[in-house]
Amino acid sequence: MTTPAMYESGLQPERTTLAWRRTVISLLVGSVAAARVLAGGIGTWAVAVAVTGVVLTGLIWSMAAERGRRATRALADGALLPGGGLLLFLSVVVAAAAAVGMWYVFA
Amino acid sequence: MRWGRWPSPRSMSDSRFPRWVFDHGSEPDPRFSLANERTFLAWVRTALALIAGGVALEALGLPIQPALRLAASMLSLVLGLVVPILAWVNWGTVERAMREQLPLPGSKVALPVGIGVSLVAALLLLGMVLR
Repeated sequence: MTTPAMYESGLQPERTTLAWRRTVISLLVGSVAAARVLAGGIGTWAVAVAVTGVVLTGLIWSMAAERGRRATRALADGALLPGGGLLLFLSVVVAAAAAVGMWYVFA
Repeated sequence: MRWGRWPSPRSMSDSRFPRWVFDHGSEPDPRFSLANERTFLAWVRTALALIAGGVALEALGLPIQPALRLAASMLSLVLGLVVPILAWVNWGTVERAMREQLPLPGSKVALPVGIGVSLVAALLLLGMVLR
């Protein structure tokens, strides 16, 4: 029976954390670019969207960082990985961003 | 196909979200779960690119036949809305298949994205020709 210590506990969680980091950076850049673009179309709403985007991105990033720490512990100690709640939250945020984009294009 | 089993404490009942994933089977090798998670994130980044592209098409006022440009933009945005949801469902079904030691289901996301992006490109090409 293999023991958890036999796995390189560093590589997989690190790759996953980096993937979260890439995603969060895309979200951040998108929020800022959206503010710039929306300022021309829907005016004051642009600020609200940008602020919401940045706040949500920060929230997602802090949750992802905690998730990465938990994953590292899971590989080291044989504990369970976190569940899929943050993933669903992220899906909803991005889908909502698409909806805002549609609103901008049609309005 | 046999997935590696992970020696986790059996006494613990799994209360993780979502139930339709974690209520079944047993804990797979965490490396596979993490790989599943990274795949989901890759699709999310793809959706973000599609959203950015869809908005940029209209925001930049590119010299493309307006109706076709709008259609391409909307299609791109619709993909951007649908892909994260599909990616989430995909993540869940793959995670569950790994837990139950079943073969992985085919990706539900790849085909719609492939077709959708090809359509967007075709609309834009036509729009540039018919300008």
